[in-house]
Amino acid sequence: MEVVGLISGGKDSCYNLMCAVREGHKIVALANLHPPKDSNSDELDSYMYQSVGADGVELYGEAMGLPLYRREISGQAKNQKANYEKTEGDEVEDLFELLTEVKKNHPEVKGVSAGAILSSYQKVRVEDVCRRLDLTPLCFLWEREQNSLLSEMVENGVDAVLIKVAAIGLGEKHLCKTLADMAPIMKTLQDKYGVHPCGEGGEFESFVRDCPLFKKRIVIDETETVTHQDDPVAPVFYLRLKKMHLEDK
Amino acid sequence: MVNFTVDEIRALMDRKRNIRNMSVIAHVDHGKSTLTDSLVSKAGIIAGAKAGETRFTDTRKDEQERCITIKSTAISLFFELDKKDLDFVKGEQQFETVEVDGKKEKYNGFLINLIDSPGHVDFSSEVTAALRVTDGALVVVDCVSGVCVQTETVLRQAIAERIKPVLFMNKMDRALLELQLGAEELFQTFQRIVENINVIIATYGDDDGPMGPIMVDPSVGNVGFGSGLHGWAFTLKQFSEMYADKFGVQVDKLMKNLWGDRFFDLKTKKWSNTQTDDAKRGFNQFVLDPIFMVFDAIMNLKKDKTAALVEKLGIKLANDEKDLEGKPLMKAFMRRWLPAGDTMLQMITFHLPSPVTAQKYRMEMLYEGPHDDEAAVAIKTCDPNGPLMMYVSKMVPTSDKGRFYAFGRVFSGKVATGMKARIQGPNYVPGKKEDLYEKTIQRTILMMGRYIEPIEDIPSGNIAGLVGVDQYLVKGGTITTYKDAHNMRVMKFSVSPVVRVAVEAKNPADLPKLVEGLKRLAKSDPMVQCIFEESGEHIIAGAGELHLEICLKDLEEDHACIPLKKSDPVVSYRETVQSESNQICLSKSPNKHNRLHCTAQPMPDGLADDIEGGTVNARDEFKARAKILAEKYEYDVTEARKIWCFGPDGTGPNLLFDVTKGVQYLNEIKDSVVAGFQWATREGVLSDENMRGVRFNIHDVTLHADAIHRGGGQIIPTARRVFYASILTAEPRILEPVYLVEIQCPEAAVGGIYGVLNRRRGHVFEESQVTGTPMFVVKAYLPVNESFGFTADLRSNTGGQAFPQCVFDHWQVLPGDPLEAGTKPNQIVLDTRKRKGLKEGIPALDNYLDKM
Repeated sequence: MEVVGLISGGKDSCYNLMCAVREGHKIVALANLHPPKDSNSDELDSYMYQSVGADGVELYGEAMGLPLYRREISGQAKNQKANYEKTEGDEVEDLFELLTEVKKNHPEVKGVSAGAILSSYQKVRVEDVCRRLDLTPLCFLWEREQNSLLSEMVENGVDAVLIKVAAIGLGEKHLCKTLADMAPIMKTLQDKYGVHPCGEGGEFESFVRDCPLFKKRIVIDETETVTHQDDPVAPVFYLRLKKMHLEDK
Repeated sequence: MVNFTVDEIRALMDRKRNIRNMSVIAHVDHGKSTLTDSLVSKAGIIAGAKAGETRFTDTRKDEQERCITIKSTAISLFFELDKKDLDFVKGEQQFETVEVDGKKEKYNGFLINLIDSPGHVDFSSEVTAALRVTDGALVVVDCVSGVCVQTETVLRQAIAERIKPVLFMNKMDRALLELQLGAEELFQTFQRIVENINVIIATYGDDDGPMGPIMVDPSVGNVGFGSGLHGWAFTLKQFSEMYADKFGVQVDKLMKNLWGDRFFDLKTKKWSNTQTDDAKRGFNQFVLDPIFMVFDAIMNLKKDKTAALVEKLGIKLANDEKDLEGKPLMKAFMRRWLPAGDTMLQMITFHLPSPVTAQKYRMEMLYEGPHDDEAAVAIKTCDPNGPLMMYVSKMVPTSDKGRFYAFGRVFSGKVATGMKARIQGPNYVPGKKEDLYEKTIQRTILMMGRYIEPIEDIPSGNIAGLVGVDQYLVKGGTITTYKDAHNMRVMKFSVSPVVRVAVEAKNPADLPKLVEGLKRLAKSDPMVQCIFEESGEHIIAGAGELHLEICLKDLEEDHACIPLKKSDPVVSYRETVQSESNQICLSKSPNKHNRLHCTAQPMPDGLADDIEGGTVNARDEFKARAKILAEKYEYDVTEARKIWCFGPDGTGPNLLFDVTKGVQYLNEIKDSVVAGFQWATREGVLSDENMRGVRFNIHDVTLHADAIHRGGGQIIPTARRVFYASILTAEPRILEPVYLVEIQCPEAAVGGIYGVLNRRRGHVFEESQVTGTPMFVVKAYLPVNESFGFTADLRSNTGGQAFPQCVFDHWQVLPGDPLEAGTKPNQIVLDTRKRKGLKEGIPALDNYLDKM
């Protein structure tokens, strides 16, 4: 099946693509929603999309050698119910527009790869959009056990670093840590506070620097740490990716 | 061991109705340990002549040197009651029957497990641990000083634990020799003490309670009089026996005439209730007069009279004693005439309950589980064949450094060497695995003062020591063989660890030894808290200066064995609020998708005390509790039914109310909010101290529709932040601990006391003369923070005549706004933060308060 890959720059969307390829699907295009360029914050605290690291996603198309379709997030989380139905001005409609555009340019696309693991909020919305566009959602990570999933990603060559932390027990020092570094820390926090090891509840966001699908790897040259919420216990920090370049593998 | 062997004791242990487990409790220096020695001397462990000098139960070197008891000590005694006295043992559960020559007979051998406990308030936790494993208490009161603050504290605790008291008036020799009191004065003194004791008993328990009559009454025989130091004692029974034949009445009938307003007319030979010219009070005439006569004859060296008395009373003096005169002769005489051991042991066997009697009414206080499960029934009947239920109340250091005997009471079943048992710590919850170990009991032992004796097994109703469970329990816990057993209730201490010091190793390389030493110290003392702060500080918290001093000494010399650096003692504070939050505070979760709306407000006066005292309890049935809160504290009943939890530690004096209306998924986040609440109340926003007396209200909650985005990782920190914001908007205040100080001194020294107290922010609220003595008692409140060096200061200002006893009494608001720079509370908060290595300055409100 020809597939369009929804990517956020994070590990889940990337690893889901790897799973799709392993299952014999063919990725023909990438799609991404990013915060408006004029917005004063990189973090929209969106209910649907990862917004930090959007600057890095620009390089994804070239890194994978695929066409990348991007669109600004213009809507808001207007419909916050568990079940979704079309709502004007909702951020989900941005996804609908984006996929409509992809479908126009690549009529052969039949499937959509999305990296949801446990958030039925996100899955329900992706499924709603796919239904309306007659596409098949592909969620290989859905309801996988998170600790084993995390180590599987590391084993299969997903090289990602943390670019946002927002949970009890995580702090500035955890930014830029790789998934391999984080796995034991997350396990401890899971036992202690019920934190989700894969960051599925929004505990952290990651940015993939390299994976087997990449033809070139992304090198982060310069970052800036931004304090989003200053709290001694569960502070929220994220990294603004200021300068990056691609490097041949 | 002259009188008995371990095998004999083991046989006695099976005769559970002939066992008495008892503690000796009193104010400091009222002579418990000395009195205990006369009991030990009777049971034959040390020679009779040395009783009164040896303090057998003070096992530690510093105890002997300082002449105070620091640790409670257990000993087993064996006492054979005279067969003629067996009728005084009343109640079917109070004695075993044996068959002798085909006839049923009461068994006259009694096993008495006795625990001597410290009298200094700083060691009250040792008393608590002792009370838990015993059923009766011998309350010792110095008849010269009367009922003191610590007498009341320990007696109150005893009544609350359902421990039956008997009273002993000690130091009668001082009343006679030093104060030279007359007969009627002495009677009045005794009567006042009996009244004082009964007032305390009536305040905390009553005669209609499950224990039955518990008031003390000399005419019943549960009050003893005498001198522990001189080794003599009597109850009215002893004197009644002397006169019973002469009067031709029964002993117990006569006893009634020997106390209170009963007067005997020598002319008419009749008893009456009113005093006439020819009548004299029974107690004075028949009890005190003979004693006065003996004292007069011996002390004034009236040899003929003395010889006559020796003959008349049938005293058999030893050959070397016949040549004595004055005080030594008086001692020998009195000891032969009214031997303290016999009197005391009789009083104990007659009036204190056997385990069978006591466990029947103590079970519901002791056991947390359902009152009809297997364990509960076995405890109630003291069944040695039921499942094992044992409570470990404290750890006793062994000669092997770092190892401890677990000391406790077997309430049902048998604990045996080599048996497998469940070791349940205080945090064990039935059905879960935490704080639970299944291990083999390496060895069971008998603990007897300075000695221990290995023993095969120990059945229900007895006190036991265990080897090899110390590594699984920190301070105490439950040992059982019943897999569905709940815990035995954790002990409630009457004192709080309000004074703390920081320690560090002089040589930084010794840090591991220090950490290990602190762990051992925490085990060896029932109450001391050893805290490892995140800043790397090691804190020891104790009840008072003396307690800390002893703990530090133990740590340095026994547990860590390294030189230590100690900080000056500092005080624990509490954080509270003074008004209601000026707004409904909002905090968002880290992912911004969940919002909590809360306020804080002070609790009504007295509620925090009631929670700490257990009157309002986290485990109470919620409707009954709501009723109390509504009636006593005018809380709205519907609201009071929706208390989510107490905190910190699930039991503390802060409450979380759910006042939301129709919020979706609210119950799903309850656990996380509660966790945040426990955290916030344990580590307050100002300086990481516990909160006290704060009521939090959850007004509204908006949550992400998907459960995955409202997990603990998101909600716990948010709850904590919103509680902090609520506190900061409700005029936070600092509470400081305050001691009740009781000072005894002669009148001349009273002025000096006022001076010292004034300099230390203390104030006197009561000053009275001890009737019949030249002594004054001054009672005052003194902030704990000002108490360091108080004792020494007081002594130097009163020429060493005033001796204070400080006991924690209450928390008091330190006036001033801690958020305002320059105030005293602000200084304390900043100092505490610095000491704990927290960020400088109190965090600003916007750290915790979010905008919509």
